[in-house]
Amino acid sequence: MAYLARLGAPVRGFLEFLGDQAHLVLRTTRHTLLLRMGQISVVARQTKLQIRFTGLDALWLVGGTALLLGAVTLIQAFSQLSGLGAENYIGVLMVLIILRELGPLLTAVLVIGRSSTAIAAELGAMQLNSEVDALAVHGVNPYQYLLLPRWLGVLISVFVLVVFFDTAALAGGFLVAKLKYGVTFGFFMESVRQALSNRDFLATLLKVWLFSGAITFHACHFGLRIRRSQTEIPQAVTKTVVSALVAIFALDGLIAALFYF
Amino acid sequence: MIEIRDLALGASDGRLALDGLDLTVPRGGNLVVTGSSGSGKSRLLKVMAGMERPWRGRIQIDGREVWPEGGVLALTGHVSLGFAFASGGLLSNLSLRENIALPLTFQGTTAVELARRTEQALERVNLQAVGGLRPHAVSASARKLANLARVLALEPELILLDDPLEGLDAADRAIAQELVRGWGAERSCTLVVAAEEADALSDLEAASLQLSPSLISVESP
Repeated sequence: MAYLARLGAPVRGFLEFLGDQAHLVLRTTRHTLLLRMGQISVVARQTKLQIRFTGLDALWLVGGTALLLGAVTLIQAFSQLSGLGAENYIGVLMVLIILRELGPLLTAVLVIGRSSTAIAAELGAMQLNSEVDALAVHGVNPYQYLLLPRWLGVLISVFVLVVFFDTAALAGGFLVAKLKYGVTFGFFMESVRQALSNRDFLATLLKVWLFSGAITFHACHFGLRIRRSQTEIPQAVTKTVVSALVAIFALDGLIAALFYF
Repeated sequence: MIEIRDLALGASDGRLALDGLDLTVPRGGNLVVTGSSGSGKSRLLKVMAGMERPWRGRIQIDGREVWPEGGVLALTGHVSLGFAFASGGLLSNLSLRENIALPLTFQGTTAVELARRTEQALERVNLQAVGGLRPHAVSASARKLANLARVLALEPELILLDDPLEGLDAADRAIAQELVRGWGAERSCTLVVAAEEADALSDLEAASLQLSPSLISVESP
């Protein structure tokens, strides 16, 4: 019986967590539909702030990481496939490794490290300072003012960052291919284009949508649960990172199975 | 305006602060809640506003159920409510002026009206000079007055003030007292004030609710 109880507690906790996530998503969606004209400008202003922090401020970090990753991927591939006509596999390698998998996944990891931690800490501090209560009690709907701009901001930022990551990674890959094999830009891009399919675009868009939702709502869940003391903030940040990472890896696996298995 | 039935709630240290409270505050009525520190005054106000859940009981504001179901979102957009927090309650990434203006913006107030009401409220509490500063850059008493200015600008039908005079110097206290008196005299506005000592609010025509760990007493005005 004690064994069953030990097993049941985490399962119940996980189901409660999933229920809370669904509750946050549904409430945010419902209150989005209830936005009035005057409120849209306030939400847009908040969304712009979120895009600047999550998207624009992360461009150099994401670009640099992607450039190095693209270059390293081709260096490693060429070192293993030398003599086997490695240049013929350039497009397949770039699409399989970077565009399909690492682009969206590493972008999400970087956004979790930079932004979901910030969202959780900010919302936690707001809870402790009664700011969330003050919003709600004075008619400023927290779903519209706090959650929606963060969701939209992270969604737009993740989309832009994935495109930027893929572009920078392809640039890094092209540099290596050109220096090692003297591959032309036209040949490189044609090779990538042939390996790409509409399914890849669809899978990437689905990943952007699901990853940004997971990143935002995990951060909001743990941030808004803070009630008593400042010592809860670092705990909430840690839980956000771990939980969001698990979620995006699980979603990535699910999408890979759905689209390519 | 406020209907409370069989309310039980805990104090900040977790013990029972209130049990079996029945209370009605009519529209335009005033109520002063007094009690020592930790007696549950602030918690009672937060429970009334839907911010905190009571242990038991039913609360209705203007006919809308706040507890056991609903909470603060049951009132959002339906009942015009102003709440002055004893501490905190101002968004730290906005200036005092923006804090006062935000609820009005969300209500859909026109830009001209919004500017007029915001500036008038700041002027009334003598905060015009620091209106562009964020809460962390001003004194605690300025933050307290900014909380009152936000309520003033909103012109709500229900006002809940949590210890509005505590920690204010003589000049600021006079400003706050004048505001509270003004709201108390308005027939269109229902006022609930929590205060440690009722003396400073003795000229307010109000019912009183005395909270203590073992006793609840309700008196009509």
